[in-house]
Amino acid sequence: MSSAPTPTPRRPFAERARSRRLLDLGVAFGKVGLFGFGGGPSFIPLIEREVASHGWLDRRDFLDAFAFGNALPGPIATKLAGFVGHRVAGWPGAVVALLALTAPTIGAMIALAALYVQYRDTTVVSGFLTGLRPVVIALLVLTVTGFAPSALGAPRAWRANVFRWLVFAAAFVAAVALDLHPGLLIVAGGFAGLLWGKAR
Amino acid sequence: MTDVLEVFWAFARAGLLGFGGGPAMIPLIQVEVVDLRAWLSHAEFLDAFAFGNALPGPIATKMAGYVGFQVAGWAGAAAGLAGIAAPTIVAIVALASVYRRYRDRDVVQRFLAGVRPVVLALLALVAWDFWPAAMQVEGLRWGVAPLWAILVAALVGSWRTDVHPAVWIVLGGVVGWLL
Repeated sequence: MSSAPTPTPRRPFAERARSRRLLDLGVAFGKVGLFGFGGGPSFIPLIEREVASHGWLDRRDFLDAFAFGNALPGPIATKLAGFVGHRVAGWPGAVVALLALTAPTIGAMIALAALYVQYRDTTVVSGFLTGLRPVVIALLVLTVTGFAPSALGAPRAWRANVFRWLVFAAAFVAAVALDLHPGLLIVAGGFAGLLWGKAR
Repeated sequence: MTDVLEVFWAFARAGLLGFGGGPAMIPLIQVEVVDLRAWLSHAEFLDAFAFGNALPGPIATKMAGYVGFQVAGWAGAAAGLAGIAAPTIVAIVALASVYRRYRDRDVVQRFLAGVRPVVLALLALVAWDFWPAAMQVEGLRWGVAPLWAILVAALVGSWRTDVHPAVWIVLGGVVGWLL
């Protein structure tokens, strides 16, 4: 199953029938929901993979959607699912993406809660979670490096984009050391761009 | 019916007041569910949270569906999910449609040129924040050797091949279970 970066037409998904697009959304976000263990961090690489392989958003649009998602309240994964679903197939798309992402595991939680209380001390689950978390770190690192050219420009052209690298470093340090609100950082970055930046 | 509406309202409040993603919203959900409405005891809530974390899928919506079901059956589960997810999805779609209208203006492009490095930093921050839990260390220190082996294997495998990330996630889980 190879999805090498073939140059796709601008929005090929728009040419599909809506029922087919809804099915694609359901399968894609169903996969994200079933394999997204370990909370929020694991969803981002999985959603990025689905969005890229279907050509639903380009990397710049995905970054912008992530910016909106961080500036608004509420869970990130469901916001991204709703946003992508709406873009691909309107409001029915948003509903399908949200349900595919969340309904299977809500159902599982309701159905299995009684069992869990009985078997809560089993080490199988904790071993499984321990082993997959480093994988999530690896996937996140690759997501960050994959998005870097869209956000910072080509690595070799860093001299021309010093401003962007500075904003990146300042935002990271401010978030780690000062625990500033993501929405505040996003707005601050935007104003820095207005003052000093170049478009694109 | 009033129960169903109350579930919707409780989770809509948690959803609209909680910034920083699902895990950051758990304390807000706890306030609505345990402190304000006593739908679950504190111990029941912690059990549900621990169990929810063992299953895949977003945690905030799992809690909303589960608690909603406890209060008012399947209608309650639907109301909890709608409450926590729908208002913020409407908000992001509205914001995106404004963005699509003005995206080609120079001032918007310059604003976004400053925003994108911040977003990249926030993505890196997700990995940074997750690091201690994933590598079982305090702060950025060398962690446990098997976990490093999994990390490096997943990094190289995912970088050099085109295998779906879900495969690496499940493989990592199986290795962790065998260790």
